[in-house]
Amino acid sequence: MSLADKSVFELIVEKHTANLHAGFRRWSEEMGAPPPALGDYRWTDDLILSTWYQAAHGHPPQDRLEYRVGRSGGGFDVLDFNFLPESQWLPENTEIDLSLPLNRRGDHLEKISIPLPIYGGGMSYGSVSEQVMLSRARNAAHWGTFTSTGEGGYPRSLTEYKDNVITQVATGMFGVREETIQNARIVEFKYAQGAKPGLGGHLLGDKATQTVSEIRESVPWVSLFSPFPFHSVYSVEDHRKHVDWIKQTNPRALVSVKVSTPTDVDMVAVGSYFAGAHIVHLDGSYGGTGAAPEIAKKNIAMPIEFAIPRVHRYLLSEEIRDRVTVMASGGIRTAWDIAKVIALGADGAVIGTSELVAMGCTRCSNCERGRGCPFGLTTTDPLLSQFVQPDWGAERLNNLYTSYATQLKDILRRLGLRSIAELRGRPDLLKYVG
Amino acid sequence: MTDNPNNNGNGYHRFHIVAERAPDVEKWPSRFNVRVRRSGLAKLIIKELLHYGPRNKDVILSRPCLYGVFSGPVGGFMPRDQHCVGCLRCTTEFPDFVRVSHNPERRKLGDSFFDFRVVDSVTYEAESGLIPVKGAGYRGKFGGEGWDGMWTDMSEIVRPTRDGIHGREFISTVVDIGARPNFLMFDEEGRSVGRTPHVFQIPLPLLFDVLPKSAASERTWRITARAATELGTLAVIPIGAVLQYNLESDHVAPLVRPGEKDALPVLEKAPRLIEMDGWEEGLYRAIHTAFPESLVALRIPFTSGQELLKFARKGIRVFHLTADYHGRDPKGAFVLDLIRRAHKAFVEAGIRQEVTLLGSGGIIHAEHVPKAILCGLDAVALDTAALVALQARFHGECRDRETSRFSLPRKLTLAWGAQRLVNLAASWRDQLLEIMGAMGLREVRRLRGEMGRAMFMEDLEREAFAGVNGYEPGR
Repeated sequence: MSLADKSVFELIVEKHTANLHAGFRRWSEEMGAPPPALGDYRWTDDLILSTWYQAAHGHPPQDRLEYRVGRSGGGFDVLDFNFLPESQWLPENTEIDLSLPLNRRGDHLEKISIPLPIYGGGMSYGSVSEQVMLSRARNAAHWGTFTSTGEGGYPRSLTEYKDNVITQVATGMFGVREETIQNARIVEFKYAQGAKPGLGGHLLGDKATQTVSEIRESVPWVSLFSPFPFHSVYSVEDHRKHVDWIKQTNPRALVSVKVSTPTDVDMVAVGSYFAGAHIVHLDGSYGGTGAAPEIAKKNIAMPIEFAIPRVHRYLLSEEIRDRVTVMASGGIRTAWDIAKVIALGADGAVIGTSELVAMGCTRCSNCERGRGCPFGLTTTDPLLSQFVQPDWGAERLNNLYTSYATQLKDILRRLGLRSIAELRGRPDLLKYVG
Repeated sequence: MTDNPNNNGNGYHRFHIVAERAPDVEKWPSRFNVRVRRSGLAKLIIKELLHYGPRNKDVILSRPCLYGVFSGPVGGFMPRDQHCVGCLRCTTEFPDFVRVSHNPERRKLGDSFFDFRVVDSVTYEAESGLIPVKGAGYRGKFGGEGWDGMWTDMSEIVRPTRDGIHGREFISTVVDIGARPNFLMFDEEGRSVGRTPHVFQIPLPLLFDVLPKSAASERTWRITARAATELGTLAVIPIGAVLQYNLESDHVAPLVRPGEKDALPVLEKAPRLIEMDGWEEGLYRAIHTAFPESLVALRIPFTSGQELLKFARKGIRVFHLTADYHGRDPKGAFVLDLIRRAHKAFVEAGIRQEVTLLGSGGIIHAEHVPKAILCGLDAVALDTAALVALQARFHGECRDRETSRFSLPRKLTLAWGAQRLVNLAASWRDQLLEIMGAMGLREVRRLRGEMGRAMFMEDLEREAFAGVNGYEPGR
């Protein structure tokens, strides 16, 4: 199509998309120093740029950029691996198994296994664009893993990828329909989320556009709060009834329960298991992609690094550790974080922010402002959302996952382990470098 | 400003703070500096003109900023720094000639404790009365010392709903100031005998502390007094200023220093609370004699439990414990630990219910209020946060009330200043509600000293990293 055949809208999208794509490459590969205002303690400039690099190349940068840790001064950033001496590393061609079974209950339901211990966390339609959801779904389908709808409904375009899309049922029930539950191989109950533990979801009015509110069956341009908690759940027994309701609607689906990290997170995990959960998904307090009160991000509930060992040990003591899959999320930024959280006791990790960074997020925190994300990620603005085309987004995520898989295998090889399962609950393979 | 439509005409009045936008009166340095190399931009325009042609003017003029940085009459040639939100899209698109950097002048606001990030937060709260809401997760340090090493609990199930906590459901932020016996006694005929509660209530656990010397003026005293009145709380103001500017009201607690005994009789009516600045037996007696119905708060620096109990035995039931503006005592202990120590001393003596602990110093952020209450305070007296709400600039490190130097905007007016403080209180109260809502608590009085709902980094790390090579607890 020649220039003359294109509309002004198309030309504007094309111009900025091309500039952005070139910019991601130039900043992560060519410029001598990072943008001066990029990054923060958790996601440093190096981590952001190295994620852009991985999303372009499928492997971590060879030099210059620190791609493993941030500079937060705690948690994952003060842990390293206690690698074997190089002479004891497994040979590079060793077959390393990264697969993760998601159904360990021993019931008659599908024995779903994903080829690497990662899937995508819930980011709702409205909080992110349909293009971003499609990018994530395509990548999940490519890898045979999953992504989650979040609590915003199920755009029709996702149906093609339904085998790789987790349907989330959260307290607002936004967009939850019988068919979207029936679509899913995994249904996720969201009790809480790390970005705002105990506070429920929050979509600001500016982002509740006509289309978003149609899917959510709400009023356009009105802020949406997911009420907290589930009004019908006051005990593990009530929770069990919820699980039964899902099983009634979709008898095939595995059930994941997403909770945050209160002091009694261990009891919550055990309760979730006894209520019928296949997956207990713990969302620590430092993650999250959506709008959240600043006070909630830092101060409510514990970081995932502290919650996972507590849950792992308690499940062990209850002798049910091998009957439930524990997924960790909330501030997991890199392949190294994934490996560390598994060493602390999780089975796998759920990621969100790093996927957005791979697609160009600078973590500027302006997701909620006006038209939404200026990079077209956390927005439903008709022009901005065109900056992320699903093919391009899926390719970036595929590269990121490829890089993560390579790094995980390399970490295991240097620890002398042949499978990711062997790493679980091995704090002795970590070292404190704080 | 506390009037509200929830008054149902039957005497029920639901506390609500009406915030009204009160924009900055003094222009502060922008958060970011945006620099555009003009030759680079000129080249780009020529290149785009040639590529798109003059008919596609809108494409050429489409700039990579949604916030108006390049929207001036000469576009990118004179970027408007004050509109920049630091998204970095412009520099991402044009790495060769656009640079966005943090503005070092902005970073000079505040001091090493009240750093520019907290200044940003407090000024937003004072301007809007809203809770700061942002996307993209937490950006700060993992933990650290003091407040940063503490997290509050949440409950997965039982709690007031979030859609309800700012609306139809109710979380009480009322606190009692005063003395209440551990139990009541009645005679055989059911009449109460012995001590009875001597308390009054304020609708939120926030007071305004006495201003530092360098910020004290008739206008600033009037601002804190008016804000306290509008909120239904208290402002601590030196008795001299109370008398000089005729500030007596139920919402002003005169601060009386040793040697100011003679000013007491000049007060026209009994204040609800009088603060005594340091212990002086004679002054204490004089206050009691002059105003037997007033509560007396002893204002002293945080001190040992033994010392506090000594004053309790002398009859003090309200303590206003102070740390310096950085939250430290002279030995360097932090206010969080100091509060816990004071609270514990009264708990162990079995009289915690009988006393009220107010605290100030080092409590500068909305999150510090619930944390201070969890550690044992009943209410918090705002000091430097109130000054920052009024756009005060710090000159050097400001630790000490006597010598710290603050300067206030020239355009400071009574109405604007009071509204800024009301807005700050509205925002902080709403954030307190968020924390309590998440914990499932319906009353701030139940938050006090509820240490089982607090988590400390040291404890969590010790438990989580047990077994990690090289980890030494407390290192």
